[in-house]
Amino acid sequence: MEKILDKKRIDDWIAALNDWEVHAPALEDGIWTYKPVSGAARLDHPNTRQSPKGFTFPQREVYFSFEQIKGEPPKLTQILPKETRHVVFGVRPCDGKGVPRMDKVFTDHVEDTYYTTRRKNVAYVGLACNKPPSATCFCLSVGGSPVSTDGLDVQLTDLGDRYFVKAVTETGKALMKAAGSLLTEPAAADQKQVKQVHTEAVAYPQRKINDPDGAPAKLKVSFNSPLWDEMARACIGCGICTFLCPTCHCFDINDEVHSKAPLQGQRVRTWDNCQFPDFTMHSSGHNPRENTGARLRQRVNHKFQYFHENFGMHQCTGCGRCVSECPVGIDIVAVVNKVTENVG
Amino acid sequence: MSDNIYLPKLGRVAFIKDEVVGERAIKTFRVEAADGGDLFEHECGQCAMLSIFGRGESMISIASSPLIKEYKQFSIMRVGRVSTAFHDLAVGDVIGIRGPYGNNFPIDDWRGKNLYFIGGGCGLAPIWPLITTAVAQRADFKNITVFYGGRTSRDIMYRAELEKLRESVDVHLSIDKAEEGWDGYCGFVPAAVMDKDPVPDNSVAITCGPPIMIKFVIQNLNQLGFADDQIYTTIENKMKCGLGKCGRCNVGKDYVCVKGPVYSWAVLKNLPEEY
Ligand SMILES: Cc1cc2nc3c(=O)[nH]c(=O)nc-3n(C[C@H](O)[C@H](O)[C@H](O)COP(=O)(O)OP(=O)(O)OC[C@H]3O[C@@H](n4cnc5c(N)ncnc54)[C@H](O)[C@@H]3O)c2cc1C
Ligand code: SF4
Ligand code: SF4
Ligand code: FES
Repeated sequence: MEKILDKKRIDDWIAALNDWEVHAPALEDGIWTYKPVSGAARLDHPNTRQSPKGFTFPQREVYFSFEQIKGEPPKLTQILPKETRHVVFGVRPCDGKGVPRMDKVFTDHVEDTYYTTRRKNVAYVGLACNKPPSATCFCLSVGGSPVSTDGLDVQLTDLGDRYFVKAVTETGKALMKAAGSLLTEPAAADQKQVKQVHTEAVAYPQRKINDPDGAPAKLKVSFNSPLWDEMARACIGCGICTFLCPTCHCFDINDEVHSKAPLQGQRVRTWDNCQFPDFTMHSSGHNPRENTGARLRQRVNHKFQYFHENFGMHQCTGCGRCVSECPVGIDIVAVVNKVTENVG
Repeated sequence: MSDNIYLPKLGRVAFIKDEVVGERAIKTFRVEAADGGDLFEHECGQCAMLSIFGRGESMISIASSPLIKEYKQFSIMRVGRVSTAFHDLAVGDVIGIRGPYGNNFPIDDWRGKNLYFIGGGCGLAPIWPLITTAVAQRADFKNITVFYGGRTSRDIMYRAELEKLRESVDVHLSIDKAEEGWDGYCGFVPAAVMDKDPVPDNSVAITCGPPIMIKFVIQNLNQLGFADDQIYTTIENKMKCGLGKCGRCNVGKDYVCVKGPVYSWAVLKNLPEEY
């Protein structure tokens, strides 16, 4: 299904999606953030600071509550996410690519009910990048593209005063049907223009991973490379790189106690981070990943080797967030290129 | 609705025993389903995520034989927040338990073979189900030999059970330094093993204990002619989910909570040394 939407009518489309809670990027204190919208959505963001992964994997997820009166057995109450349906507007193709990667993690081997409950209730209306919005973009190196539709339900392409609207999934079609007569048939000129825009989009130069296909094998033999320590020396272990990443999924599980007698509290999952020393540290003090070099290697190898060995795709989608936001300028593109350079 | 993989079952503590006291205190717990019935089936080498509500979860090896259905046994060393809360439990208290997790020892491939068990410190617990299952099915195996060492005689766990084992298998106990009244071996476990010259023919060696002990045990076994695929061990990486999702316990591409904790040395030696 392919249609045309007059840009001025996007608020009417959003208003028509009254079965859904609609979110779109909003500029708040200089930071692009997904916010609930009821009317007009600005889709002129480069990309949001945070990826949209929080819609399916929020920073904080309560598993269950527990309650125990002294001398009695504890009572557990499972807390599943609300079945609210979300539509997220303005998702960039790299973040769309993150979706099937998170699906793999949370459904492989056994299914994570919290993730799948949220996942089936969210739809992504993506926005193609007519031109890579940031100097740190490198989606083309990792099997993506500024006009990729992977993980999206609808793809919008900016044609000046109107959007070219393309359904990717059945859910996407339903969202478009809800717009009724707001969406009109594209003319031959629209079709021609969208092709042109897409062709130009993929032709813009981007930063490059030099040998993405060879990276898994080359990283594997570079495990003991001295470059890891060298390149990670500046890392302050803040974790920004992983918190902002659309595919980083590591988490911690903790009990939070709200009352001691009777005992009341919740078991909660929160984002965690492989760049923290205590991520892998045993109670004995033994730490299999003792220094920043070992931890940088884990982050890079997970993205470009281990995930590829397990699922046949890179876990990095080339969004560039970890590159642009790292306070000390550690650059995953440079690291992969450097470590794999001159390796057989 | 699909099963919630994070929701634990409730288990009632039916038995508690002081195994080792002092600084490296270990207590043994038997846990049964709080609502009667069985908790779950398991295999030798698997683990369970135990929890005390309000304190948190810990991954612990199931230390009882799969042949025992009424309870699961765990031996827990007091090292931190959750394990200390376990040491404070009383019989009748209710805990959370989910699992079983991980792979298992391929015991069926080992029938008709000699088994050498080599444990150190609290590393007897993960191989105890295997030892007790093999002993219960004694006729299925040839010679069974257990080497086990503690730092001092007070660090020896399962003392009474080990004495009873002597009725059907060879048991060699050791302590690091000589003590008055000790008639077993004095010295480190790897040396205690060499002292008895285990034979590699038609044998499997299973070792578990502190990483440094495992390292030297494997070196010595290799020297005695044990091939890498005749040596098995288990590894413990920090774990939170047990399900291959929290991203914490990997060695290379494998999450130890799913693909481990049991490894043959032939496989483990080719994995990155991140454990
Ligand atoms: C496969 C496996 C089997 C194990 N079997 C046993 C056993 O039979 N008996 C026993 O006493 N201990 C065992 N452990 C170690 C045990 O899980 C930790 O000692 C325990 O989780 C420490 O928790 P704590 O809250 O007391 O310590 P804290 O230091 O307060 O722990 C904080 C958190 O760190 C994690 N953690 C710390 N050290 C370890 C570690 N070595 N392994 C895994 N997670 C860790 C836990 O998630 C814990 O919640 C096993 C670990 C694994 C991975
Ligand atoms: S953002 Fe940079 S400094 Fe912070 S943990 Fe990541 S690599 Fe290290
Ligand atoms: S690793 Fe960096 S560039 Fe790749 S997807 Fe994650 S944040 Fe984006
Ligand atoms: S414990 Fe979470 S991935 Fe293994």
